[in-house]
Amino acid sequence: MNAIEVKNLRKEFKAYSSRSGLAGAFRDLFTRNYKIIPAVNDINFTVKQGEMVGYIGENGAGKSTTIKMLTGILTPTSGEITVNGMNPHKEREKFVQTIGVVFGQRSQLWWDIAVQESFRLLKKVYKVSDEQYNNHMDHVIKTLDIEPLLDKPVRKLSLGQRMRCELAAALIHNPPLLFLDEPTIGLDVLVKLKIRDFLKEINEKYNTTILLTTHDLSDIEALCERVIMLDEGKVIYDGALKKLKETMDDGKEVQFQFLQNVDLTQVTALTAGMPVKWELNEKEQLFTAYIEDQDELISQLISKVVSAYKIKDIKINETSTEELIRNIYEKGAVEVG
Amino acid sequence: MFYVKIFFQYMSQYIKTRLQYRTDIFVEFFSDLLSQAINLIFILVVFGHTQFLNGWNRDEIIFIYGFFLVPFAVFSAFFNIWDFNERYIVKGELDRILTRPIHSLFQIILERMELEALLGAITGLAVMLYAGLHLHINVEWYDPLLFIFFVIGGVLIYGGIFIMLACISFWADARTSLMPMMYNISNYGRYPVNIYNHIIRFVLTWILPFAFVGVYPAAFFLEKQEWFWYSFLTPVMGIIFFTISVILWNQGIKRYRGAGN
Repeated sequence: MNAIEVKNLRKEFKAYSSRSGLAGAFRDLFTRNYKIIPAVNDINFTVKQGEMVGYIGENGAGKSTTIKMLTGILTPTSGEITVNGMNPHKEREKFVQTIGVVFGQRSQLWWDIAVQESFRLLKKVYKVSDEQYNNHMDHVIKTLDIEPLLDKPVRKLSLGQRMRCELAAALIHNPPLLFLDEPTIGLDVLVKLKIRDFLKEINEKYNTTILLTTHDLSDIEALCERVIMLDEGKVIYDGALKKLKETMDDGKEVQFQFLQNVDLTQVTALTAGMPVKWELNEKEQLFTAYIEDQDELISQLISKVVSAYKIKDIKINETSTEELIRNIYEKGAVEVG
Repeated sequence: MFYVKIFFQYMSQYIKTRLQYRTDIFVEFFSDLLSQAINLIFILVVFGHTQFLNGWNRDEIIFIYGFFLVPFAVFSAFFNIWDFNERYIVKGELDRILTRPIHSLFQIILERMELEALLGAITGLAVMLYAGLHLHINVEWYDPLLFIFFVIGGVLIYGGIFIMLACISFWADARTSLMPMMYNISNYGRYPVNIYNHIIRFVLTWILPFAFVGVYPAAFFLEKQEWFWYSFLTPVMGIIFFTISVILWNQGIKRYRGAGN
């Protein structure tokens, strides 16, 4: 069964532009200029039950808008959404019973009262029985390690502590589908790791589908096999993260620092006949060789360089996911076979 | 049934929140009590100077005022939506509301309740008692029942109007400052409507029916036969206005655009 099905989904916003100057302000009183801007522009995708999908894109690419449509907060301009077999906006109250939502920048919990009181109220709101609650939440509380926080008011928690409680709060009714909008924003590495482990665990244990937006690509690398990439409201890539890396990989770079004085023409001459491109960072005397990702080529290059000159330092870099994504944004499209 | 249960859950949550700040609660309780007492004295002093107003005597006017305070207190306790635009639309808190399986308007009412405001109802009852004793009103067995119906009607009218005002935020971007103006207009309902000219009277009866929160229902207890018709219209108007406001709300929610983050 598909947890999420999206067909030709579109959301338009009217954006008003104001004219300049006082005279312009008066004119705006009567007729305003506006443009219709598609925040989400005819996107299609499906997510299977139990998948963990990373939904990425720059600020303003339409990620949050999509999530808000999928959770029934916003009504689409056109297109079809089926989530958990329902139309999120039409049957909102019944529908939200089957999803959990965490907005990294917004709290679900009551600010002034103890965490457990918030949980208790949410338990009533979602009509969870004591038995279900105990079975499920005992485990969640233990894994997220929030037991000692339960009797503290939310306003006294640190961001990391609060985020773990938020996550627990979103899972009170053990939903089969979880939306996480930037859940690790501003958290330290340890808390991030804990949250990732926890998400993996509930995914395995309950086959929970997770849709995650984040700017932290290490989250995506650690959790998601599949990514959907959005740019200017359009899906520009949908598929495995690994495949994206393979196609986009332009090769490796090898950096050298030498103990003696070497210039660019010398190294270029040295590797003549090999598919290598050299670059020099003058300030740090850093020589970078760009080559294709072939095992033999690397060793050939290194052996040639090392035998000719004394080296101080050598470094082999692979293009990081961050760089990869940046490249994609700059190019604006991905072509995957 | 579920909604009743949830109502009490939120109420206990509210009380717990208040109890978090121990000193605060005492200070607030006393200041509330004090302000109600001042209110009471103010009413007596102001109306001490009026004897007759277009066929109504001093005590009758005080009685109407006292009656008005009761639905107004209930309204203030549960329809704290005057800052709906800033709090829920601009800050995007409505996002959170919309991810929970309870009707959005009901959730906002629950979240924003301020039970202290109910103290005002006690002032109102005290004022009514004072005026009632002066007027020698006889209380029939059905009077308390009708009183409750009229109060509910009044609360629904008030609530309906303010919900409709809140709904404007769904259609217009700009922060509207209609709410304070509306509070002022609502005050006109505390006085006998036949002292105003026709247009104002018409407005207060059919368009912004604040007269149904004060004069009309109170007239019943004051045994003003000529107004009985209007008195019994109070719950009807309440239901009509509230229903319209909820329909409007449900339409508005579809137009909610969210706040960017």
